[in-house]
Amino acid sequence: MVNLRFIVRQMTGAKRQCAVFILCVALSMITLVSLGSFRESVESSLLRDAQSLHAADIIVRSHAPLPSATEQEIATLVQHGQTKSARYWDFYSVVQKVKGEGSLLCDLKVVEPGYPFYGRVLLRSGKPLAEVLKPGTLVVEQQLLDRLRLQPGDSLKVGNATLVVRDVVLQEPDRPVNFFSLGPRVFVAAADREALGLIGLGSRVEHVTLLKVAHQKDLDTIASRLAATTDETRVRVATYKNAGSRVKRFFDNLLFFLNLSGIFTLLLSGFGIQSTLFALLKEQERTIAVLKALGAKSRFIIGHFLAVTLVLGAIGTLVGLTGSFLLQGFLPSLFSGLIPAQVTLQISFNAIWQGMLIGLLVVLLFTALPLYRLKEVKPRAIFGKEDAAGMWSRSTWIIAGLGALFFLSMVLIRLRDLKTGLYFMLALLGLILVSYLLAALVLRLLRKSTPGSLALRQALKGLFRPHNASLSIIVTLSAALGVIFSLTLVEKNLDASFITSFPPGAPNVFLIDIQPDQKEGLARLLGPGARYYPIVKGTVSAVNEKPIDPEQERKSRGDNLGREMNLTYRNELLADERIVSGGTLFRKDWGDALQVSVLDTVLKMHDMKVGDSITFKIQGVPMTARIASIRTRTSSGFTPFFYFVFPPDALAGAPHTIFAAVRVDKERISALQNQVVDQFPNVSVIDLTETVVIFGRIMGKLSTIVRFFTSFSIVAGVLIVVSSVFATRYARIQEAVYFTILGARRSFVLAVFTAENLLLGLVSGAIALLMSQVASLLICRKGLDMEYRPYPADSLLLVAGTTLLVVAVGLAVTLPLLRQKPVTFLREQSDE
Amino acid sequence: MRNLFTIFTLALCTVTGAGPALAAGAAKPASHGTIVAFGDSLTAGYGIRESEAYPAQLQRKLHQAGYQWTVINAGISGETSTGALARVDWVMKLKPDIVILETGANDGLRGQDPDLAYRNIDKIVSTLQSKGVVVVLAGMRMLRNLGPAYTGKFAAIYPRVAKERKVILIPFFLDKVAGKEGLNLSDGVHPTAKGYAIVTETVYPYVVKAIKQKGGA
Repeated sequence: MVNLRFIVRQMTGAKRQCAVFILCVALSMITLVSLGSFRESVESSLLRDAQSLHAADIIVRSHAPLPSATEQEIATLVQHGQTKSARYWDFYSVVQKVKGEGSLLCDLKVVEPGYPFYGRVLLRSGKPLAEVLKPGTLVVEQQLLDRLRLQPGDSLKVGNATLVVRDVVLQEPDRPVNFFSLGPRVFVAAADREALGLIGLGSRVEHVTLLKVAHQKDLDTIASRLAATTDETRVRVATYKNAGSRVKRFFDNLLFFLNLSGIFTLLLSGFGIQSTLFALLKEQERTIAVLKALGAKSRFIIGHFLAVTLVLGAIGTLVGLTGSFLLQGFLPSLFSGLIPAQVTLQISFNAIWQGMLIGLLVVLLFTALPLYRLKEVKPRAIFGKEDAAGMWSRSTWIIAGLGALFFLSMVLIRLRDLKTGLYFMLALLGLILVSYLLAALVLRLLRKSTPGSLALRQALKGLFRPHNASLSIIVTLSAALGVIFSLTLVEKNLDASFITSFPPGAPNVFLIDIQPDQKEGLARLLGPGARYYPIVKGTVSAVNEKPIDPEQERKSRGDNLGREMNLTYRNELLADERIVSGGTLFRKDWGDALQVSVLDTVLKMHDMKVGDSITFKIQGVPMTARIASIRTRTSSGFTPFFYFVFPPDALAGAPHTIFAAVRVDKERISALQNQVVDQFPNVSVIDLTETVVIFGRIMGKLSTIVRFFTSFSIVAGVLIVVSSVFATRYARIQEAVYFTILGARRSFVLAVFTAENLLLGLVSGAIALLMSQVASLLICRKGLDMEYRPYPADSLLLVAGTTLLVVAVGLAVTLPLLRQKPVTFLREQSDE
Repeated sequence: MRNLFTIFTLALCTVTGAGPALAAGAAKPASHGTIVAFGDSLTAGYGIRESEAYPAQLQRKLHQAGYQWTVINAGISGETSTGALARVDWVMKLKPDIVILETGANDGLRGQDPDLAYRNIDKIVSTLQSKGVVVVLAGMRMLRNLGPAYTGKFAAIYPRVAKERKVILIPFFLDKVAGKEGLNLSDGVHPTAKGYAIVTETVYPYVVKAIKQKGGA
């Protein structure tokens, strides 16, 4: 039996609490649905990106023609319609001008008509590549025309053939993967391959076969069938999924962070729901006691309040869904450029029903405890003499346990990684536990203090008033603020190491192999912005006297110690470096012993620590150095970095070359290259403009998206502040009345309440800051594998801001009370 | 990002280079003299153990034949002829009687003007000769894919220097090895230990000629 009038009365009687409750539910819905839709769009576009980054589903590479067994297998697959195939040959060649003197090293790509299966080769004419690249023609990069002073329509000698330049290539889908190139791109039609006479015995050519599978589900089977046809190591079979595009790590980090902030928003909304409900039920305590005195069973009461919460939850869900739909109009502009235009961003039904289900679960979960507590309301509460119920009864544990399980499963579903999920849960439990302990500790300290000001003394008394909720408010606030602070700090760090790593002035042109005596002349050419790094070649022959076997080392999947290293020397840290172990770059107290500073990346290749010894072979001379420090990089941009740094005097005598990094305007690059070739023919220029620009753009977009989703959790945090202050409203009315009856002026009452809120805000803020610094350090270092900066000024601003917010909301709730005449309240009291 | 940079450094490493190595210890035995193998990755033995690169194999072969000479590996991977020229003084510190000069391949791989390599090699040879060093010049050919105009000009550098400076010329350092599968690493450019056995055979008679010229036995 449900009494509708009762439900309606409960809802209209506490409009503000209901509004906060609805907003909390709506917020969690919006976050879940938007994040869900976004995630699906991003994942599908990521896979598409990966396909177009490799221009195919399966890529077979080899330095020589494929073994016949592999060729046979590909032919069979094509014959059965399981795949389409297109080949291309990639190699360097020196092309010659037909009229006049001039030649240039170019990166040739001889392609069959099917290339590319995914993505698009963008030409200046706007036409498809296959239409332009007919036998006898060339499609080239603008740089080639600039450097050889040619026009489209001019001829060029490539190998034995003379071909005509037809068009200019602006973008190539798989270029970012093979971005390191010593010369401009030249496309040649496969039909001209024989005529070139460049491929054959004595050539160094990358033979690539691209495959597009008819059914994506066959991808891995076909790839492994192809790999099984040969045991030659020179044949490499990869799929677009496992070829590991480097953009993927950014996206992985971003998705991880977004999921994290989604779950946190959910949690914060949950806290909001719970504390609103507590406040609401607190005010209804007497009603409930009366109901009980009249013989109502706990089940009846709980049932009705459950109905109230479900109705509110349903309204919140509706509001949330509407909000999500409205938001969709805004999302595409936010994500434009990041997601390919052909991916339409739309609300996925999957995300909607998942969101609704999870929303319902959150409502049920977070209302369970307040509702269950209704059982403990005794009829004698009518007289206002109820004993505070024990905080941790068995039922509380069960509900808390269920809650933990729910969030664990959420985390597991979202993060898809058991270990991270468990860490996450432990961190959450730790967060709440630490908040509780710190809050209890601070309250105990405050209780003992007796400040001089009466208002402050009263404020302190207020914190410890009977049935006070101070502890639970501080725990809720500090846990919630802790989460928000952590998100803000992590976002700032993501920003610093990804986005600001690509500042507008970042170097885009790199010059290698500069001889020491050329530095001065080159510096005149490059201007003041260039940076120079001396490079001495050397190998690591032993670590702690244990020899390094290059063949063994090369078997490792990542970088390894088996290759030759670029060593450098200097006395100071680079702007984006930090010492993680050892204190200073080099030690003054180690006397004449040779020292070296090691980048932390090397520690992943081989175990070593400060004080260990590394033996190098530098220009024929064995040199053993002691590790004086371990450095880390704080940014991930295109700045040069060095695994091993020596003090200058140690390597000064060894022959070295100089590496330069400089920012050059795109239009000036070809001219600069010509000047360099004229004056310093041995120096090679590497142009990464395209890649730097693309990365800078992607990073900027990512930061907007991250900020957008973090703002949800900030709104949730504000709601929590509002709802927790609401929770104390009833007790405050009483106090305000008593103060006024005792002759206190309004300003005094205001001072007392402000001081109380100030204390609440400051204490919660400080606890939150402490926890969030630890939490974000762990998230950055362990979760995202990046450098952490504490941002002290911003942190203090956060504490100040939240304290102000608590005070402001407190005042907003209290001011209307002060305007009431005490007698109104007393009359209402006696009415009950 | 780090992956990206790994690619970058790796790529940089393959075009630039690496440290030289002593094939048989820096100490000069009391016997007959020192040969310095002065070159790039093809001398250093890129991707294989130092003991399998040609300088070490050559020393073993010389010892077997009764020539008690030391062969020092002074190869730096990725070095161009310009880098080699800048390193002549450093190489002279090893007090060589004979230098086997193998350089220029990286100039070619970067498409640099063959005239530059010619000038550099010419200068290295004349500097070494002026200090009384007998030079064995390793002839090199460029990869076919660079095009006939370029490879033709490139291959002409070595006979020209040899003729003008009257040095011993190994017509083609990678004879019978270049482009042969099984004799080269999977990159198709750098010889394996087996490949170096053939290189050693190729180099050996010219080194013996140099030893005789130097007056050793």
